Amino acid sequence: MASQLSFAGFAWKNLWRRRLRTLLTLGGIAMAIGAFVGLVGFSRSFEHEWLRMYLSSGTDIAVVQQTFLNTSVSESAGATLKALPTVAQATPMILNLMDLTPEVNALSYGWKADSYEFDSLTLKSGRRFLDGQPEVMLGDLLAENMKKNAGDALEIQGTTFTVAGIYHGGSALEAGAVIMPLDQMQKLGSLEGKVTAFHVRLRPTPPGETPEHYLARAQAEIEAALPGLRAVPAAKRAGNNQLVQLSHAAAWGTSGIALLIGILGIANTMAMSVFERTREIGILRALGWKRWRVLVLIEMEAAVLGLAGGIAGIVIGWGSLRVLAALPQTASIVSASFPLLLLAEALGIAVLAGLAAGLIPAWRGAHLSPVEALRHD
Amino acid sequence: MTEPILEVRDVRMSYDEGRIEALRGVDLAIHAGEFLAISGPSGSGKSTLLQLLGGLDTPTSGEVLFKNTQLGSAINLDTYRSKSVGFIFQAFHLMPTLRVLENVQVPMLALSPAPHNRAERAETLLREMGLQDRLRQYPNELSAGERQRVAIARALANSPEILLADEPTGNLDSVNSARIMEILTGIQKQRGMTLIVVTHENEIAHSAAHQIRLRDGRIEA
Repeated sequence: MASQLSFAGFAWKNLWRRRLRTLLTLGGIAMAIGAFVGLVGFSRSFEHEWLRMYLSSGTDIAVVQQTFLNTSVSESAGATLKALPTVAQATPMILNLMDLTPEVNALSYGWKADSYEFDSLTLKSGRRFLDGQPEVMLGDLLAENMKKNAGDALEIQGTTFTVAGIYHGGSALEAGAVIMPLDQMQKLGSLEGKVTAFHVRLRPTPPGETPEHYLARAQAEIEAALPGLRAVPAAKRAGNNQLVQLSHAAAWGTSGIALLIGILGIANTMAMSVFERTREIGILRALGWKRWRVLVLIEMEAAVLGLAGGIAGIVIGWGSLRVLAALPQTASIVSASFPLLLLAEALGIAVLAGLAAGLIPAWRGAHLSPVEALRHD
Repeated sequence: MTEPILEVRDVRMSYDEGRIEALRGVDLAIHAGEFLAISGPSGSGKSTLLQLLGGLDTPTSGEVLFKNTQLGSAINLDTYRSKSVGFIFQAFHLMPTLRVLENVQVPMLALSPAPHNRAERAETLLREMGLQDRLRQYPNELSAGERQRVAIARALANSPEILLADEPTGNLDSVNSARIMEILTGIQKQRGMTLIVVTHENEIAHSAAHQIRLRDGRIEA
C-alpha cells in the first residue's frame, strides 16, 4: 500500500525534522499549560469548596459589608435580621486566616456555640465548645496535621486554648479549619462587637412564589432593613469572595505570564523554521501552492505544537493538582477531581496560543516571492 | 496555423528600480506540443524568461499570454502554476523531509480538492521513471540522476500541458544528462506536451525542434 501524503502529515514531518527544537518548544508550552491547569484548577477547586461549605450548612444568604474580609459589620445587626419575616435563622461569624504554627496556617472561624452551621459538622470526638471559654474545635484534617486530640492545649497568638472537640466537615475548607467561640475570636483580634458576616437561613418559600423570586425579595428586605450592608446569595458569594477572587487573579495572572513565554517560544521556533525553509516555501509556491495554503501549513505546524504541548501540560497540571491534594498544607482547599471544562479550556488555550504564535511567521512565509525564495540559500 | 499555447509580447523585465534590465522587449510564440530550447550566455535573461513563462513572476511591461489569455490578470498565477505547468529545476528542489513517493504528491496538495488517489498516481509516475525501487527513499539517499527523475515525476503530477526545465542537466554527468533529455523528449512526444528547456549546452539546444538564443535580454536574430 503506497503511503498517501496528507496536509497534516506534511506539517508533522516539517516539525519532526528539528526534533530537539520541537521538543524544547513543546516543553515550554507544556509548562505554561501545566501552570494554567495547576493554578486555575487550584483556584476553581478553592471556589468549589466554598460553595460546598455554604450548601452543606444550608446558608441561603450572607450579609456582609462591601468587602469579604472586612470585619466591620456590627454584631447588633443580628437582632434586626432575626426580626425580618423571611429570615428563619441568622448567625454571626468571623472569618480569618491564622498562623497556628510556623508551618501550619488555617482558616479560622468565630461562631456562636448555638450556630446552625454546626448542623453540617459531625463531631468525631470531644464536645462542642462553650461561648466565653478559651476553647476551639479542630477539623479532622487539621487535627491530624497538628497531631492534636480533644483535651489537648493549643496556643494561638499567645493565648492557650483547649481543644474541645474534633469534627468532620462536609467541605475541605471546614475539615482543615479551626472554629472558636465568636467572643474569643473578637478578643484575639480586638474586634469586640464586630463580625465579618451574618449567615442567614430563610424560611421556606411560600406557595405560589418561585425560589428565585423569594430569594430576591429576601435580599431586598434585608438590604432595606440594614442600609449599608449587602445581602449576597450563598451561591454567588462562593465566587465573589475576595479570597477566591484573589486566587483566581493570581492563577490567571501567573499562568498568563507562563503562556506568554510559551507563545514567544513557539513564535521563535516558527520564525526560525520559516527562515530555514525559505527555499522550500518558494518550491511550494512554484508548484502552485496558493498563499493561503502555505499560511495554513505553517499555522497547522504551530497549532500541532500548541496541541501537543497542551496535552503534555494537562498531564503535568493534573499531576501537580494530585500532589497538592495529597499535601497536608494544601489538602484542605484542593480536591483531586479534574473537571472536563478545565481540560477543554487548557486544550483550547494551547491551540489558540499556537495559532497566535504562528501567525506572523506564517504570514511572512505565505508572502514570500517564489522567485526570491527559490534563490535563497 | 493554430493559436500559440504561450505568447510573449514586447516583454521587458527590470530590477533594482530599472537599473538592471534582464529582458528588453522579447516577442515569442510557442505552440502546443513544441520542444523549444532557450539558450544564451549567463545573464542573458533566459531564466528570467522561463520564470515569466511559468508564471513565477510578472513582467515590468508587456504581456505573457496562455492560450490567448493574459497571465496574472485574467488567469491567476497560482492556478496556472498548479494546473498548466510543471517545473524542473537544475538543483532538483525536492523536499528533504519527504520520501520520494511523497515528494511527487506535493503538487497534488495544491489542487482543491486534492485527488484521492495521490499515492497511486505518484507511484505510477515513478514507475515510468524507473524508480519503482526507490519509493520509500529520501532524496539524500538518491543519486543526482535519480533525484532529477523524481523531479520530472513531480512536474507531471498534475498532468500539465507545459513542462518548463531550467538547466535540467546542469548538475548531472553526461550519461545522466543524456538519460534525462531522453526522458523529457520522450514525454514531450508521447504526451504531446509543450517542452521548454533553458540550457547553455549546445547539444541540447540543437536537439530541440525550435530554439532561440538570448543575448543581453534580447532574442538574437
